[in-house]
This record gives sequence, C-alpha cells and structure tokens, in this order.
Amino acid sequence: MYTYDTLDKALLNQRVAEFREQVKRRIAGELTEDQFKPLRLMNGLYLQTHAYMLRVAVPYGTLSSDQMRKFAYIARTYDRGYGHFTTRQNIQFNWIELGSTPDILYDLSEVDLHAIQTSGNCIRNVTADPFAGAAADELDDPRVWSEIIRQWSTLHPEFSFLPRKFKIAVTGADADRAAIKFHDIGLKIVRNDAGDLGFQVFVGGGQGRTPFVAPLIRPFLPAKDILRYLDAALRVYNQHGRRDNIYKARIKILVDSLGADQFSLDVEREFEKLDPDLLAVNEKEVERIRDMFALPYLRPDTDAQAGLEQAMEQSNPLRRWCETNTEVHKVPGYAIATVSLKPVGGIPGDATADQMDTVADLADRYSLGEIRVTYTQNLVLPHVRVADLPLLWAALDQISLATANAGLVTDIIACPGLDYCTLANARSIPLAQRISERFADLDAQHNIGPLDIRISGCINACGHHHAGHIGILGVDKKGVELYQLTLGGQGNRDSAIGKILGPGFDEDGIIGAVENVIATYLNMRTIGETFSETLQRKGHSPFKERLYDHT
Amino acid sequence: MIILDTKGQAHGERRGFSEQQEPPLFGATAIVSAAALKERFAPTDTDSLAHTGVSLTVDDDLSDMAGYFPHLAMVELVFSQFKDGRPFSTAVVLRRDFEFKGAILAAGDFLPDQALFLLRAGFSAFVVPEQFTAKQFKSALLAYSVAYQPGLGGAPDLLKTLRDPPTAVAAG
Ligand code: SF4
Repeated sequence: MYTYDTLDKALLNQRVAEFREQVKRRIAGELTEDQFKPLRLMNGLYLQTHAYMLRVAVPYGTLSSDQMRKFAYIARTYDRGYGHFTTRQNIQFNWIELGSTPDILYDLSEVDLHAIQTSGNCIRNVTADPFAGAAADELDDPRVWSEIIRQWSTLHPEFSFLPRKFKIAVTGADADRAAIKFHDIGLKIVRNDAGDLGFQVFVGGGQGRTPFVAPLIRPFLPAKDILRYLDAALRVYNQHGRRDNIYKARIKILVDSLGADQFSLDVEREFEKLDPDLLAVNEKEVERIRDMFALPYLRPDTDAQAGLEQAMEQSNPLRRWCETNTEVHKVPGYAIATVSLKPVGGIPGDATADQMDTVADLADRYSLGEIRVTYTQNLVLPHVRVADLPLLWAALDQISLATANAGLVTDIIACPGLDYCTLANARSIPLAQRISERFADLDAQHNIGPLDIRISGCINACGHHHAGHIGILGVDKKGVELYQLTLGGQGNRDSAIGKILGPGFDEDGIIGAVENVIATYLNMRTIGETFSETLQRKGHSPFKERLYDHT
Repeated sequence: MIILDTKGQAHGERRGFSEQQEPPLFGATAIVSAAALKERFAPTDTDSLAHTGVSLTVDDDLSDMAGYFPHLAMVELVFSQFKDGRPFSTAVVLRRDFEFKGAILAAGDFLPDQALFLLRAGFSAFVVPEQFTAKQFKSALLAYSVAYQPGLGGAPDLLKTLRDPPTAVAAG
C-alpha cells in the first residue's frame, strides 16, 4: 500500500485548509453559489436532488482496512449510516451538510484519502485492475504506475481545465478487469521483444452519448516515458478538443474526427518536442513506490485446495460462493475473494457503516489488511489463504455480504439514477432491485451462468450499459420513463459496444424483456455455452423476434 | 484593473484594455490585437516590437505570428471563461516552441484559485478580474508550498517540486 510521506501530506493538508476557507466564505455569504460551484466541484462536492453529495476517491481501487474504517466513521458521523461504491472506484456519501465537508476532508486526510479531482474537467482518479498485485495473470503491478500518474496529475497546472473530464485506466493483465478501452486513455503494461517494460497506449474510448472502444495509438511506450507521453497527449487534447458542445468535448470525439493515425502523429510530434529528461520517471521513485506495494513473502500451500474441497463437500452454499466469488491468486494456496455488494433486492454498491467496519476487520484477519473496490461495485479481499475461505465466507454471510453471485445475472451494475441524480431520465436502482428479486434463486443464477446486466439512468452511461451483455438505458420519451435494451456489450479484453435491440419498454415491460432474453438464450445454448457465446453464434435476430413478436 | 506579478506584488494597471500603456507594462508601451500586430508590423521591425505587446484570444493561432514572438515585449492571453484552460497550454507552447522570452500576462475571466496554476504554467503576471480582489489572489498564491510537477515553460521556481529531480529509469 502506498503511504503518504511528508510532502504528500503537506499538499493534502493545504488542500483541506484551502477548502475550509472557501466553505467559510460561502456560508458567510462572501461567495455566491455561482462562484462557489467550481470550487466545491474541484473537491468532489455535488448538489444533488435532495442534498450535497461528496465523492471520495479510492485511489486506483485500493484501500487499507484503516481507510475502510474511516469510510464507516464518515457514513456514521456525517451521513445516514451508509456509503455508495460507484462504477468508477469511488465512494459517494449522499446526505452531506455543507458545513461538515471541511471536517470530512480533514478526517479523510488522516488516512491519506481525499476528494481531489473526483469531479470537474480534469484528470480523474486513475482506475486500475482490482486484482492488482494478486492476479496470477499479471505482468506488473498497475498500482505502481497508477500512483505515479496520480502524483503527476494532481493539481496539474496545465491540465485542470480541460474540455471535459479525463479518465485513465491501467492494467497489468491480459484479462483487463479495468475496462481500459472504455477510458480516455487506457494503458496496458507489456514487455517488448527485448524484455523492457512499457505500455500499449489506447486513446479515445468512452461511453456516454457516442460510445467508442479506444484504438491503439502506441504499440510500445517505454515505461520511463509514460509521463512525457501523457503530457503530450493531454496538451494536444487541451488545445484541440472541442469546447463548443459538451457532448463533443471528450477526447474520443477528437480522436474520431482526426482519425487515430493523425491523432497519434500529433501526439508523437508533441512528444518529440518535450525535453526527454524533464518528465522521465525517476528510477528511485519507481522503486520507492514499488516497495510499498510489494507483497510480503507468502508461503505457497499446495495442499490447501484439498482441504477446501472437503469443506465444500459439507456445504453447498460455500461451494457456490467459492465457484463464483473467488479467483486464482499468484501464490498457490491463496485466493482473491469478491465480496458482493449485490444482495438480492439490495441497492448495488451500497454498504452500511457496520458492514464496512466488519469488512475492514476481515481484511485484517484474512487479507493482509487490504481491500479493493471494483468498478462493478463490489469489494475484493485480494490475499486470502485458501484454507481460510470457509471462515471468511461464514463471517461475510453473517453481515449479508456472502451472496454467491459475482459475475452472474444479479451482479448488476446500476448508476444512482432518478433517485439521486439530477441528470437522470429514469430510475436505475429500483429496476436493478426488481431484476435481482426476479432472479433471486441462486441455483437458477448459476444455471444461467456468467451474465452482465448494466443499467444507466441516462445517456451519460455511468452504469456502463454500453458494455453490458445486457444493457439498459433510461430514456425520456415525451415525459414518460422508458428503458432501451442493448445486447452484446463487453467490458473486458474484447471490449465491445452493445447494439440496441428495438423500441424501449416501460418498467414492467423491461423486466419481462430481460426475462425473455434470458429464456431465449437458455433455449438456444449448447452445453457449456455462455450468454455471450450464444449471442455471438446466433446474432441478435432470435432475441429481437422473441421480444417484439411476443410483447 | 490591478496587475499582480507572480510574487503577489502589484505591478501597474491595465486600463480597460486600452492599447496605450503609460507607464509601460513589462516593457510594452502599446498592447495590440493579433490583427493589428500583423497589419502594423513586420517580424523584422524588432525595435518597435521590443516595446510592443500583443493581446491574444483563445482562438488566435500562434503559428500565424511565429516570427514576431522572439521580439515582442509581452504577450497577454485572454481567458474567455475560467473553464476554458487553453491559455495554460498556450503559455507553455509560447515559451517552448516560439522562443518567447518576455512577460506573459493573463487577462479575462479566471479565478483566484487558478493563480498558482497560472504562474506554474509560465505566466508572469495577471490582471485581477473585476469581481475579485488583489487580496484573494495574494492568499491563493500562498495556498500551496509544494507541487508534484516541475514548473512549466520557465515558470519561476517558487515552489519546491516533490522528490528528486528526474534521472533515467530502467524500471522493471
Ligand atoms: S447515467 Fe445519468 S442518471 Fe445515471 S448517474 Fe450518470 S448522469 Fe446520473
């Protein structure tokens, strides 16, 4: 885990002091709401439908147990006893008083947390693989590079007022659990033929009104040049990105209008002009950061699996949970465990203060004090001994966090939608709850297999609906809430954008439509075939026929 | 309107963006638009340019005026609105690609909270927008003593940059 040194802390403390002063001026009436708005947004403070909402960054999705406890404390002290993990590896507190925000930021700073750049047209919290440092398929720990990018992008003098927000994602694994090609810049850690570490650079991905899968614009960038290259790309964007139309301001539109080749040339030209030493990543700094993320020695235990098999013989619920919610760790005898924040009928991503405290305790006991947050709105305990899985599962079960549904039909991603968000066309959360209740039966879920439902309350696509196997988008048709269905999205290595199936449905209709889509798949699948595979083999037509001939 | 330099010192006034500057501002006795610059001077009029400043909007194209910059006394970059951050990059590019050595002045719509960004992007001074006070800008300049990035475009090194100066890496 990265811990702040005195310089990191100085900057953070100064940030908190600055915001305390701004809030004081606002409350005293020295600042109008108009003048205050850009300042509060730079500190992640939004004004929502009912109250202020504070968005706090979980840096590249990694939390220590103490940091999680601080979230619990804030939920309990300043909010209504819970927090909401978002689809961007952040946490949101939805019921905040303006006057408390400086104290909240101060409390967060005590454990190196902040709300810096969680909103505004700047470089946002870097997204990374939630299994970083634990995954068996990882080439290098993306958090090392994410931290370097975090530092470089924090209060950047030149890139804090970009045409639009800017999101960077880093993965060190082939499986891509960070959906890097749906980010403004996606970085995949690779080695070249000579064995040197570097990045593949993808630019111009995104969702929203015009979704794009990012094209590759640099097949190999030496690791030391990462900041120089980002600097070049951001400068091209800052100068040439559109500012006349908010819907055309993201870098994806610039890349699309210039063409990936031309954009790449422009960045290379800028890159060449930059002093190679000025932003060269300092070797000592890389090692300092790398050391902080290094795993302690973990003794491999090749017999552990046999013990677990025995425990699973005794307990079918444990077996199901292990099958869906655990992944292979790089050290034999360890596992990566997903803590589902999608209990049946629950609000995706919500966790109570008590749950957060217990997860923190479990992380201390079973996972070297580490917790991860996924963009799919779940938590992860990354370093659990296989032998401890039955105990962990039982403890999670006691706090209703042992739902065995990771990656299944009820593991739904949903944005806050009309219940909180002022931009929404339609409700997302109640829809997710109804679908979850409809498919509550775990045996049925396991029978359906891997299936990714994602819901956004408007075209801003915070619920990543474009990248869901089944995507649901809330639209407003002449004052009526409707839901549009897309099929075939993918948020992984084979990123793809789902296709709209046909006219939208009302709330009851969309539940029926999801049921029909799944029934159609179950009818057509061959043995062992997943939803995505069947969809690929058969195309959209059978689903369309079933939906629009029978509803 | 009051002009503050990057140390928070008052530095004369910019009177309603008039062309004539008395006393001269950063060596410029007149500040002209991009169109007027090209109309009235040739890049070879180095003596005149040494006493001239140009005021640029966010839409002006620097490459159109490349020959002038090495000789001009000052460049004013006008923010059309504080959210439009193009002038930050313009300042960097002016110093690096156009060999501009004179003063860069920020004018137009920006916030006290951007003051440090301005100076760290290579601006030399700024015209305090009417709705704010010099005091707000002065305290904003003192808000941070550290930064993660090196000063850009020849920015004065008022801040310590974090950690060691860069050396080559052989990471991995
Ligand atoms: S997708 Fe739309 S409704 Fe949902 S959180 Fe984002 S902006 Fe709000």
